Amino acid sequence: MEDLVSDITRGNVTEVKVVLASVVMALACYQLLLIAVGYGKVRPAFLESRPAAFAHRALGDAIVVLVVVVALMCLSYFGFEDDRTLHVVAAVSLIAVLSLKIVVVRWWHGLGRLLPVLGLSVFGLMALTWLTSAGDFLADR
Amino acid sequence: MSSQARQLLGSLVVAAAIVAVVIVAVTARLGTTSVAELEAREDRQKERLEQREDAREARQRLREERRERRGGG
Repeated sequence: MEDLVSDITRGNVTEVKVVLASVVMALACYQLLLIAVGYGKVRPAFLESRPAAFAHRALGDAIVVLVVVVALMCLSYFGFEDDRTLHVVAAVSLIAVLSLKIVVVRWWHGLGRLLPVLGLSVFGLMALTWLTSAGDFLADR
Repeated sequence: MSSQARQLLGSLVVAAAIVAVVIVAVTARLGTTSVAELEAREDRQKERLEQREDAREARQRLREERRERRGGG
């Protein structure tokens, strides 16, 4: 797996991971705007709540794919590094909360009232995970 | 196409634009990762260093020649 990741990225594992994680972070910010419109908290004239909620759902699926790819790259190439405790804890929590959110969206509809809290938690953990890895890396360049 | 479908399509186009902007911005921040480009950059640096070294040696030689001329005259 480590060789595959290295081959696919042509040896630029960290750089590709930073770009993908940054794309995820930017889309996550956009997701907040979309769901604010979806829940009717913000009412722009050019976007109704139904298409906003649908776009939120579609982009969410794409983000999950990206998160899984970045997580696999990270785990297979870097593993659990001792000096990156905060990043590891944030990332593991992110995967756990994101999984719970998917389960609630798809099957546990009864817990639908928890979705705003779960969504905000996912966003917060995503930001923390990005800041402790890609953000750090970009700040040092 | 209905108004809602247009809005949905617009939202997804905005997302695609965000992705493109982030890729361009982060890649620019990271700089080039092309091996050929990095090697060329290293070669240029080496060449500049050698030129500086040559210039320093030439100045040193000139100074010594002047000193010898003064000492001899």
